[in-house]
Amino acid sequence: MYGKGLLKGLSVTGRNVFRKRLTEKYPEEKPQLAARWRGGFQLDVAGCIACGLCERACPNYAITLTTEKNEENKKQLTTYEINQSYCLFCGLCVEACPKNCLRFTQEFETATYHKEEVKLDLFKNQNLSAPASIYAQPEKATEAARKEDK
Amino acid sequence: MKTQTYTLNLGPQHPSTHGVLRVVLELDGETCVGSKTHVGYLHRGIEKILEDRTYPQVIPYTDRLDYLAGINNNLAYVQTIEKLMNIEIPERAEYIRVMLSELMRIASHMVGIGIYIMDLGAISAVFYPFIEREKILDMMSHLSGSRMTFNYLRIGGIAHDLHPDFKPALDQFITEFPRFIEDYHRLIDENEIFIARTKKTGAITAEKAMSYGLTGPNLRASGVNHDIRKTNPYSIYDRFDFEVPVGENGDCYDRYVVRMKEVEESFKIIQQAYKELPNGPVMAKVPKLIKPPVGDVYHQAENPKGVLGCYVVSDGTPKPSRVHFRRPSFNNISIFDEIFIGHKIADVVAILASFDFVLGEVDA
Repeated sequence: MYGKGLLKGLSVTGRNVFRKRLTEKYPEEKPQLAARWRGGFQLDVAGCIACGLCERACPNYAITLTTEKNEENKKQLTTYEINQSYCLFCGLCVEACPKNCLRFTQEFETATYHKEEVKLDLFKNQNLSAPASIYAQPEKATEAARKEDK
Repeated sequence: MKTQTYTLNLGPQHPSTHGVLRVVLELDGETCVGSKTHVGYLHRGIEKILEDRTYPQVIPYTDRLDYLAGINNNLAYVQTIEKLMNIEIPERAEYIRVMLSELMRIASHMVGIGIYIMDLGAISAVFYPFIEREKILDMMSHLSGSRMTFNYLRIGGIAHDLHPDFKPALDQFITEFPRFIEDYHRLIDENEIFIARTKKTGAITAEKAMSYGLTGPNLRASGVNHDIRKTNPYSIYDRFDFEVPVGENGDCYDRYVVRMKEVEESFKIIQQAYKELPNGPVMAKVPKLIKPPVGDVYHQAENPKGVLGCYVVSDGTPKPSRVHFRRPSFNNISIFDEIFIGHKIADVVAILASFDFVLGEVDA
């Protein structure tokens, strides 16, 4: 019978009408993001040793930082900027950080009204209040063990 | 009565060209009598950019070739470098790589099939595959933190071990997926409109398909049994039990059938790999600064769209002298100008959609 296939297909649609709704009411309800989410950035300036590995790891040269030597002849950060318009969000900078002070956050609404706001000045605004992502961070157990070793 | 042919410009901003492909059609009434395909609207010069990147820095760019199946592109590139440097990969990393590339094959085919049938006018056919794809992308975001541009594989293994959230999601996917397959066959297979639009449309003979260098499901739909996973096994594909589905007529309907069967075979591989997943490290011992020996190497992998070849020339420095990708979509669409001729304009859209090409890969 011509049209049998159409009716068969329609039965699938019919069954799905009564299934659980899968969509999220996005702006009202925020989505559950993965723990390793790669969204915004945060920088713990106090922990930074200004080694510049993140700058060198970046494939697209999106990170610029300047340093100076302090009284104890140690390198110190003076400026730190990530230009998000060049950023691939590949995570190589976060993986490269030896002190784990450059971290991803779980922010995802990163659109801005002005072009200048796309550049993140992480030296002035460390963004430490944003929920941190565990991407490339040592697991808590290993972190505790390392502290005991010290 | 004297009639005239006219020119119709399809694309580059046409929704059924899957991105920015431009096809200039020469039409006689509604019948296509000539066609010229233009590419290059999404050209980013990736191969040139890569000459100024170190070997690990290349990996994020490969995600952006066939952006529907990032892991498979990662895999082809990292295996090329591993071949050049003779690096042995830990067992666990190999299993995870295979499992993820098959998951991405399913995700890519879900888009391929869904968008294909949507282009023929059936809107509901796109939602069911996208639900399954969404589950896979969520799983991937648990692992890599990103939904499409994963940057998850590394030269010598994978970046991070599996996340605890991944396993429950995969278990749920494995229990729910067979039901989707069953539902989708009910929805599409016997649909009279779909059959009328696709059977005997855009038929390609095996000889023609081979002479144009088609690969992947588009080649296999024409009846050629060619799959790099079987003919030239890479990674650990020789350990798994799966079949290579082959079509008969090489028409649009066969391209749908082959993709659906391939999804089922991929599902089989995922179950086997997940069952046998060993414990252990996920990264081999690789030097911090990757500096392959002088030489060149070519490696092929079976991607969802076809055979992705990667050619790397090393001059002994930390940056590659040349990286070239043989992108399957680019070779696949080369046949368009010939098979469009003689078809009605609505069939041209059906053929375009049935090929499942990605412009990120065509233009690189």
